[in-house]
Amino acid sequence: MEMLAYIILSLLLAVAPLAVRSERATNIIAGLFWVVQVAAIALLLGLGQVDRVMLTIFRADTLAVVFHLLLTVVLGFSLLFSSSYLKAENVSTNSYKTYYTLLMLLSVAITCVYYSHNVAMTWVFLEATTICSAGIIYHREFKQSLEATWKYIFVCSTGIAMAYLGILLLSTVAEHGSLDYTALQEVISKGNPLYLKVAFLLIVVGYSCKMEIFPLYTVGVDANYAAPAPASAFISTALVNAGFISIYRIYSLYASTEVFVWARHLLILIGILSLAVGAMFLRRTNNYKRFLSYSTVENMGIVAIGMGIGGIGLWAAVFHVMSHTLVKSSVFYQVGIMRHIYDSYSINRIGNYMNINRVGAIGFIVGTLVLLAFPPSPLFVSEVMIFTEIVSVGSWWLLLAMLILMCVVIYSIWGRTLRLGYHSNQDELHLSEVNRRLSYCAALLLLVAMVFGVWQPAFLKDAIDVIVNIG
Amino acid sequence: MILSLIILYVLTLIYLAIADRFRNHTTILALQGLLLFGIAIARMHEFHPMEMSFIIIETLIFKAMVIPAILLHVINKTKINRIHSSSSQFGALAMSIVALVASCTITYYMADQRTDMIFFGVALYALLSGLILIVMRKRVFAHLVGFLVIENGVFLFSMAIGVELPMLINIAIMLDILISILILGMFLQRLDNDIHSDETDALTSIKD
Repeated sequence: MEMLAYIILSLLLAVAPLAVRSERATNIIAGLFWVVQVAAIALLLGLGQVDRVMLTIFRADTLAVVFHLLLTVVLGFSLLFSSSYLKAENVSTNSYKTYYTLLMLLSVAITCVYYSHNVAMTWVFLEATTICSAGIIYHREFKQSLEATWKYIFVCSTGIAMAYLGILLLSTVAEHGSLDYTALQEVISKGNPLYLKVAFLLIVVGYSCKMEIFPLYTVGVDANYAAPAPASAFISTALVNAGFISIYRIYSLYASTEVFVWARHLLILIGILSLAVGAMFLRRTNNYKRFLSYSTVENMGIVAIGMGIGGIGLWAAVFHVMSHTLVKSSVFYQVGIMRHIYDSYSINRIGNYMNINRVGAIGFIVGTLVLLAFPPSPLFVSEVMIFTEIVSVGSWWLLLAMLILMCVVIYSIWGRTLRLGYHSNQDELHLSEVNRRLSYCAALLLLVAMVFGVWQPAFLKDAIDVIVNIG
Repeated sequence: MILSLIILYVLTLIYLAIADRFRNHTTILALQGLLLFGIAIARMHEFHPMEMSFIIIETLIFKAMVIPAILLHVINKTKINRIHSSSSQFGALAMSIVALVASCTITYYMADQRTDMIFFGVALYALLSGLILIVMRKRVFAHLVGFLVIENGVFLFSMAIGVELPMLINIAIMLDILISILILGMFLQRLDNDIHSDETDALTSIKD
């Protein structure tokens, strides 16, 4: 009943901006919505409700609760930054209200993906995230946003239809049609290996549009490019995490099957291809938002490799996703502030940021360094763990391929970051828009991530231990 | 009875490959909805009012009536008429036949004793037909038709596997698909209004 109350209350608050007249009232509702998310997590943790099944289709396991907590943190920042972003864009009140409504609805849909305890319901809520995201991607209503929205809905819907086929194949092992993860876990080892392989392939390919990995990563990149920066931060982290969790739950199911080794090899292949695509396009793109999106593709590729290699690499993959959420959202917010100043995301045209907004420039430069896994980055910890596991299993070719591709990534990202900080600027400036408080605010997330880079608290380690305990 | 409906369904897929008017595509999709209704009813072993109602809503109302109506509305609004194919009709037919042969071959190797081989093969053929439409046609409306053909294939696939999901999940899946199609139809009209083109060649302004 608590889950039902939470969903109904969240949905009511999400649509409430449509019934009010002012932007101020919308901000208050958004604040209340955020408080409800915090209260929900506090209740789950405070009342010891973790691992409880709710409404038969939800389960508040550690994985769901931890990622819901991360979502709530990013959502709080996104709601805050959105207000400033939309005011700078001079959007109409109606557009303002619609944007907030869609962002909150997207948050509810993503939360439901996290908590879903049923393979088919995970699919349903993932499809719901496509519908909510579409309106946010189209928010700026320019030609490219229309194109990005069309591609996003079409490719996601087709990809997710493919994933549904995989779910149907997976359901051949289900007894009495029950598709909840626990019931499937008990019977999956009896499944036809060929069906299980095809099912895994279809599900991973279908959900790749959400996790932003090869092969359907393109729509996520286009979506981040077209959406307002604070929404891009949310899509590139919370929604990507929804894709990760959906794939991770299937991966966990397969741990007891004879095709698990095959599934892990597939993930390594997808991971290395994602890393290659990220490295290649990070060199080519001329837009800071697409640049950050390709960095997401690259990082999720590393996560897929971590899952594929297994062992301590799996622990590292989960930690990598968590850290990426904090770091990537922080850098996206900094890019949003940059847009206020330059009215552009063009890599070739804008520069001299160090002299224009020193706090923002330092936030962005340090953020990209942390993204590149330079210590004290938490990504350094996870990547070293993945490398250690790769060495211990003797996959030298994989280690070599990763190192070469990551060198390309470092060269591309660092060159462009320095260009923004110190290269001469060719675009008109809008200095009155500089808001240093927001730059400090975005840097806060980065600071938290860096703390996790040098010290992982016991509760975090314990939580990840529980999450990766899939045997 | 079921076999004749299935054969008719295969014929609609072959005709879809060579049809070049969008109104014909819409009619074929409506016919597929009717055929799926017939197949689902013929496969029911005993009468369940809830199951019967769901089949009627999903196939007869949504697939055979609501979705074709949405497509006709889009056709009327955008005044699109014919497919501008990047390949000849003969080429499309040849691709479709190759897909049919590939489906039969894959079915022969994949289907086990729990799955209905005929349903499995036709569902696979429907999926490949949808993908061929998406890949070979340039107009985005044809892509929407391809997506719907895939959705119909998925419906057949669920019958091939013999999966009976809980009603709540079935309804959620159906609503998700319907809303997606509504939104796709809405954005297709916007593409026509704002970009003045509904060909994929016009959708290349986002690049690196």
